[in-house]
Amino acid sequence: MRLGRYELKLEKRLTVSGWEAASISILAILFALALFSIIFVLAGINPLLAYREILSYAFANPFGLPPTINRFIFLLLCSFAFIIPFRAGLWNIGMAGQFYVGALAAFGVLYAFGGKVSRSADLPAEIVIPLMLLGAAVGGGVLGGIAGFLRGKLNINEIVVTMMLNFIAYWLVALMIKEGGAFMNPGGRGESFELPASVHAPLVSNVPFTLLLALGFAIYLYFLFARTKIGYQIRAHGLSPAAAQYAGVSTVKISILVFVVGGALAGMAGYHYFAAVPGVYKIARNYGYFGDLAFYGIICGLISLANPLAAIPVALLFAGLTVGGRFVQGQLSIGFGVDYALLGVLMITLVAFQFFYRYRLVLAKGPELEETVDVGVFR
Amino acid sequence: MWEFFARSLEASTIFTLAALGELINQRSGILNVGIEGVMLFGATLGFIAAQLSESYLLGFVVAIAIGGLLGLMHGFFSVTLGADQVVVGMGIWILGFGLTTYIGNPYTGPLGMDRIPTISGLSPFFYLGLVLVLVTWFVLSKTSLGLRIRSVGENPAVAEVSGISVARTRYLCVMVGGMLGGFGGAVYSLFYNPVWNYNFLMGWGFIALALVFFSTWNPWILLGGSLLFGTLWQLSLNPQLVLPGVMSRYLWRTVPFVTTIIVLLIMASKWFRIRWGAAKPEALGVPYLKE
Repeated sequence: MRLGRYELKLEKRLTVSGWEAASISILAILFALALFSIIFVLAGINPLLAYREILSYAFANPFGLPPTINRFIFLLLCSFAFIIPFRAGLWNIGMAGQFYVGALAAFGVLYAFGGKVSRSADLPAEIVIPLMLLGAAVGGGVLGGIAGFLRGKLNINEIVVTMMLNFIAYWLVALMIKEGGAFMNPGGRGESFELPASVHAPLVSNVPFTLLLALGFAIYLYFLFARTKIGYQIRAHGLSPAAAQYAGVSTVKISILVFVVGGALAGMAGYHYFAAVPGVYKIARNYGYFGDLAFYGIICGLISLANPLAAIPVALLFAGLTVGGRFVQGQLSIGFGVDYALLGVLMITLVAFQFFYRYRLVLAKGPELEETVDVGVFR
Repeated sequence: MWEFFARSLEASTIFTLAALGELINQRSGILNVGIEGVMLFGATLGFIAAQLSESYLLGFVVAIAIGGLLGLMHGFFSVTLGADQVVVGMGIWILGFGLTTYIGNPYTGPLGMDRIPTISGLSPFFYLGLVLVLVTWFVLSKTSLGLRIRSVGENPAVAEVSGISVARTRYLCVMVGGMLGGFGGAVYSLFYNPVWNYNFLMGWGFIALALVFFSTWNPWILLGGSLLFGTLWQLSLNPQLVLPGVMSRYLWRTVPFVTTIIVLLIMASKWFRIRWGAAKPEALGVPYLKE
């Protein structure tokens, strides 16, 4: 295409530098938000006003900020559940199921300690809380491990398996908390029994300690991928399983490892939301809603190009948008499900922008040489 | 018992339609893991169109059209732009899941129209599904169009050299595949269970995807698989009709999903692997760009 003296043409990229990739991701988010304003316009609301309402509620409101931070912790853990297998070239879309099973396992530990008996039960917090967290990790890890084993050992499509496990886990939660299930709330409101006050998760300036855990994992995972042998093996497997296998990396081992670790982190998100967030402290009746939100982990992982540190700002933004979106729904009387619609718009924009990781628009001609690194995510 | 049987056939028809679309897609070498999203779109927009216009016909037309559009969109990303097909499919699923929840919410509740009449007690779509299976089988294995589709799915470079337009063939297949997916979704929301509810499909599309793998890309085996899963689905919804008092109803709901995993396990056996490997379209999921 010609524009005056310049020519606009597409050029194939061989590699993408870190900054280029980051700017494409930021552009994708901005584009998606611009596209999403159509929904506000259709509802007769000034989109700028709507976004200001959303962001100011989510980040600058004493009622909005705590839910945003709690949502952020949850989304970050779910993003890691996606990122770790994705680095190995595998798709974990089972974060919802791993989240459910993590929550069930945490409450299972509590049940074993007699936590159901009474809300005022005096349980040894220093033993019960670590065990609940561990239980959640084991639960999520086992569910993830099933998919990893089937993929690594028997080469069964992990997308289908993790999705099936999501539904299985969904109904298992219903089995446990509804209609006479072992974890049913004695009041019978279709939710689980409540956490005794003695084992409420410790708060660090009103934020659950799981925040430190999630941020710690971000740093740890970053170094794991960048500096360690196992991180290198995971990345090699992601670029080419066959070549990695030839170099002595076991497909079976890597598949199981990434799914167990990813699942364990999603499981901890289950502990976080139902046992650490102030004011919840039970497996809520609408647990399926949180499972749906877990899919934001996929987008967060893709937009951050599977970089655990880059996932932090992305998860924070999405946390704010979902929490604030729910708020303006009531405030500006828009239809239900703004957070769902945003999920869809973000995802499809990202798919479209994937193109720019491989091609660039160039004005004029003459190739310039640049120092580049291979991000190796969108092969 | 008769009603259980009839309902099972209705359920299996939905699996047949969606999976048949995916089979056509995959035969041309394009993998669409987002059929659930296509079905959700077809079901929701078809439901809304039918309710607003009080015409079933318009509902189905809208559903088929949106399915075809989504198929073309998948084609644009994966055929023209050569994007990773799994990413695109996931995008379509999440787009469908997210957007239909928002769009459909004001229409939550029953459709409120007279039910579509049955033909000698069975769903009219069941007969239509049978015909479509027959037509698909015939076109794919007996006609020159079918040969073109299969050759594009096996080896696009060779097909291109022998004068077949890979892009055009694949666009045709993704469009028809999407139309069948959208239609399948509308059969769900306009006939099988004419009530709109948030994320009502609960995995039908993903089971249909597994069915295609299971079928070794053969429409007749696909039909058998859908009958099995339609029956299982119906059983999981109403276990008391057949096996009263066995297991909690929530555990029954997991049965179709557990069975899917078991089926995939059986397919991992060596006997199956050999046949599967031979039948798999060689270029499935591999982007093809003319240099």
